Amino acid sequence: MKKGLALLLVIVMSLSALVGCKNNAANDTAKENTKDGQNVTNAPGDQSAGDAEDTITVLLPPVSPTYQDYFDEWTKGFHDQYPNLTLKIEAASWEDVTQKLDVQVQAGSPPDIAFVGAGTIAKYIDTGLLLDISNIATSDMLNDFDQNILNYYRNGDGLYGMPAYAEVHGIGGNREMLEAAGVDWKKVQKEGWTFEEFREAIKAGVIKDGNTVKTYGFVFACSGVAAADYLNIFVKNAGMPDPFTKDLKYAYTSQNFLKLLEDMRTLIDDGSMPKELSSIDAGKRWNMFLTGQTMITGKGLSVFERSAKLNNDKIDAKDGSAVEGSIKADYIILPVPTFLGNKMQAAGAIDGYVMFRGKEEPTSEHLSNVAKAMYYLASGKIAAVTCNDLYISPVCETGRQAMANVEQPEGKNENNTEAAQLLASQISEARTDITPELGAAAQKISDEVMVPKFQALLANEITPKEMYDAVKAAAIEAFGKDGVVVD
Amino acid sequence: MNKVKNTSLHTRKKRRLTNESIWGYIFILAPFLVFALFTLYPIIDAFIISFQKFKPLKTEWVGLDNYTKTFKSSLFYQSLVNTAVYTGITVPLSMMISFVISILIVPLTKRKQNFFKAAYYLPAIASGVALSFVWKWIYDPLPSGLLNRLVLFFGVDNQNWLGSSSTAMFSLIFMAMLSSHGTTIIIYIAALLGIDNSYYESADIDGATFFQKLRYIVLPLVKPTTVFLLITSVIGSFQVFQNAFLMTGGGPDNKTTMVGLLIFNNAFKYFEYGQASAQALVLTAIIGIFTFIQFKLTGDNVEY
Repeated sequence: MKKGLALLLVIVMSLSALVGCKNNAANDTAKENTKDGQNVTNAPGDQSAGDAEDTITVLLPPVSPTYQDYFDEWTKGFHDQYPNLTLKIEAASWEDVTQKLDVQVQAGSPPDIAFVGAGTIAKYIDTGLLLDISNIATSDMLNDFDQNILNYYRNGDGLYGMPAYAEVHGIGGNREMLEAAGVDWKKVQKEGWTFEEFREAIKAGVIKDGNTVKTYGFVFACSGVAAADYLNIFVKNAGMPDPFTKDLKYAYTSQNFLKLLEDMRTLIDDGSMPKELSSIDAGKRWNMFLTGQTMITGKGLSVFERSAKLNNDKIDAKDGSAVEGSIKADYIILPVPTFLGNKMQAAGAIDGYVMFRGKEEPTSEHLSNVAKAMYYLASGKIAAVTCNDLYISPVCETGRQAMANVEQPEGKNENNTEAAQLLASQISEARTDITPELGAAAQKISDEVMVPKFQALLANEITPKEMYDAVKAAAIEAFGKDGVVVD
Repeated sequence: MNKVKNTSLHTRKKRRLTNESIWGYIFILAPFLVFALFTLYPIIDAFIISFQKFKPLKTEWVGLDNYTKTFKSSLFYQSLVNTAVYTGITVPLSMMISFVISILIVPLTKRKQNFFKAAYYLPAIASGVALSFVWKWIYDPLPSGLLNRLVLFFGVDNQNWLGSSSTAMFSLIFMAMLSSHGTTIIIYIAALLGIDNSYYESADIDGATFFQKLRYIVLPLVKPTTVFLLITSVIGSFQVFQNAFLMTGGGPDNKTTMVGLLIFNNAFKYFEYGQASAQALVLTAIIGIFTFIQFKLTGDNVEY
């Protein structure tokens, strides 16, 4: 018995000692780095930052269809460029990357670099672990990016990321069906269209067999929180590119918002969109597009041209893995219609790389190394390959230069390429003046009032006026009568 | 001399008992450590966090703020009502269906019993995500959807099952009722098989009908099982999260937002761990009160 207990104690103490060794080793490295780092505090991101061995951890989702296939090549390329540095990439799926990151952040041990949308940085800033890179990255690095896109990663006085791309969230149509409905899609791509023109176009796109609708004019994925996408993308073209006006008043109490809601409801009442819209998820609406059940779909991304083309190729090759019941469909990028005479303001989805610290205070040398890795991933050849895969243009100069040496996708629709570039140039201005507190309050109204009420509006359970009144009441409660738009 | 002998015997007994006790403690150490690490510690930690604004680097003590916010939140009350409605319908109906199925299975041969037990238990081991895919296909809102084809056959218009306030909660309840019988059926069958045949023989001699046997023999004798299932089902149902998260996301208009989903959103979507912990503890208290009431109302004459 005594022997047994003694053995148990020995095992436990041995394990403790091993854990202690690991911690000590880590502490020693940290101390060493701190000592070296003192010399380079004022030279962030510089190659002369130090030659000490360092490992940079990265958590990355499948950003583009072939993105994760390149990890080994990129890791090797980084090590060749910086022989003392090692890039350790952890791959994650889109389904679990956010949850994985969030758990790591809350535990105080996030990766050095993660792939995060610019719209979600506020919650990470609040944890105190997301780092302001304005004094860590070099000005050469930061000047490489298109400044309006880079600004999406600004919050208050800080800069919290480097963009990988700016994808426009719009809509897209089936070329053959658009032409059959009399839509001059090339003109629409160049000049845009008003809500009235759009409404008539999707009415013309409806195909019925008796009383049964075979093809809808327009289907947007609105199931669950995806309803927020539909509203957020369309509201920009109704004169409200952001939840706050330039004088920082909450914008969605404007009468324009009510008119927008009425117009969006009208599309369902016209029969151009399915009355079951509130239950149609992203997978379902893409299936409807490929099977010819809708002329136009949303939200649309440039890369959908690739997905549609792949399915077309499978149909041609009589490949059984083509979507069941699908027809050949050429995907045409289309802008979202404008409302009430307002100008086109494309909804930009800016995603990119952000830098975290853990509970331990990182050394300036380590941060400098992380900045190098961030820039390595966000610029040059990697930016070019990623954007090429997504059928969009890079948002940094070195990426655009590298794009010349990247093989372009075969059979890419040039009209779509030009339309995507035009829409990217119309991405609304980044708002760096909206404070984190205002942003959080607007997000709360969106989550707790706007999205639930919008779901009810789509299901025809409340009127546009009832939704507008609910949003207005919540906004006045949050910002006061003087903090909201009155018109 | 006698005194010395007695003392020696006592010491030996004491030592033997002590040795046995130590081994006993060692054997229960593993489950106790698991319990302490994965249940007790999180509960204590959640209790502490419920008074904090939790941040990885700098946690702030906010006193009762999280509880105040919780009790002022209309969404919290709505989620409580939603959860109560879900529990109030799902638990009794599921238990009744399970009981009836168990009654039908018990007279069968052992092999047939095993087949039905396995068939009904299968959904319990299937992935919730996989099941939700199947149910989303069943609830497809378009006329081509599986359930809609059925209702169209009876001349009813296709329904927006998960997207309409009038059908979303019903859809979740229907889904739960058709896929959560496995454990209950197995426990009920075990209880039914535990009833001695002599009771039925006596009843037969007295000329009792099937329903009289059910009322006067079966129901009283499976009462401890029923109370156990009722209490554990209510506790489980109050914690429901997965179905709402995967099927409706709490919509439309928060009509299917359950307390579990609200807690999850606060913790993992908004990083409001303090408020999530406060809501979780309030939910624990509510479940505790319900359980106490259930014991008081149904636990008489029940021995465990």
